[in-house]
Amino acid sequence: MTFRLGAAVATACASLLTGVLPVMAHHSFAAEYDSTKTITVKGTIQKLEWVNPHAYFWVDVKDASGKVTTYAFEALSPNALARQGWNRDSLKKGEEVTVDGYLAKDGKPLADGSIHANSKGVTRADGRKVFQGSSADDAYTGSAK
Amino acid sequence: MAVALAVAVGVTLVPLKSSAQSDDAKTDKAGKFGPVGPGGGQKGGKGGGAGKGKASPSLGPAPRMPDGKASLQGVWTPANFANTGGPYPLQPWAQKVLDERRANQSKEDPEGYCLPAGVPRISPFPQKTIQTPEVLVILEEGNIHSYRQVFLDGRPHSKEDHLWMGDSIGTWEGNDVLVVDTTNFNDKTWLGGSAPHTDKLHVVERFSRPDLGHLQVDITLEDPGAFTKSHSFQRIFNLMQNTDLLEYVCNEFNIDKDHLVGRQ
Repeated sequence: MTFRLGAAVATACASLLTGVLPVMAHHSFAAEYDSTKTITVKGTIQKLEWVNPHAYFWVDVKDASGKVTTYAFEALSPNALARQGWNRDSLKKGEEVTVDGYLAKDGKPLADGSIHANSKGVTRADGRKVFQGSSADDAYTGSAK
Repeated sequence: MAVALAVAVGVTLVPLKSSAQSDDAKTDKAGKFGPVGPGGGQKGGKGGGAGKGKASPSLGPAPRMPDGKASLQGVWTPANFANTGGPYPLQPWAQKVLDERRANQSKEDPEGYCLPAGVPRISPFPQKTIQTPEVLVILEEGNIHSYRQVFLDGRPHSKEDHLWMGDSIGTWEGNDVLVVDTTNFNDKTWLGGSAPHTDKLHVVERFSRPDLGHLQVDITLEDPGAFTKSHSFQRIFNLMQNTDLLEYVCNEFNIDKDHLVGRQ
């Protein structure tokens, strides 16, 4: 796993050098998320759903009083994540992560009550980055063209 | 259409807003193809990059089929996913529709609802081309796993009409160029950049393979219902080596459709 992740990061860095880019969404980012409402949360992975058209992962965030708030982050699609070298086991339940993302425009929680957001990147406790990329990177709001 | 810039690990991601949309060049600029390498040079899930990276190697001459025709077979990824083919020469009513769609952040785009993107729009995911003397089959990884059958056996267009992906027949010009003629569309799909079209849309795609590593498609669209004149652009695909299509079942968990609020 460690090797796989290392290889994925190395590949992603190489892709930066060659100027390629992630553009992975089947919907308009701007119709669903607010690019001005950026968030960074630190918490623990509750679960990861390796589903289409976007993988989702839930992060439990505990405040000073011990109260837990759960965020549900949309990630790239499983096929896009797989080509970056990641899989359904890349984020483990209970592991500590820091997630950068954007809040949903409608401000409505998902059916399970979690706060709805879009992930642009996850950093693990050891500093390694996983699941980099967001539909915010899509080339235009008309979605996949 | 905004041309997305390189984004990767450790680099701040810059969301691109609708105001950044601009219709791009009509060509992917032959000679500035994106990278081709193991996995198509596209590991990292990247769909584009033409024009930013240096020209990729041709990897050799285009292969040929046993019948002497150019082989168009392979797993292909768009060299420049940002190329919508626009701006399209829209009639006033169609321009009004486009303006409204963009003002509303394209929230009604059928693709967001896991419906087909249509032709000649592309998804950011690869497509696979399978070729015989009688038919060229294009399998789409994105675009809701749709497929196109381009019949090469001399049959006329089907009587089936109002089709999402149209009806395609093809003829060879010599051994190097396959001319694909597609009609019988519905008016439900969107062109690149959210432009509308009618069921009078007629698409001609000229497929060729300048070298092993690239597929070139010169596209001309006519739509007397929505366009003021015919419109042409070019699209380049990069060969993805040592890989294949992956599963992408769009409707599995498409909760997005319940959260598309557009201009709100």
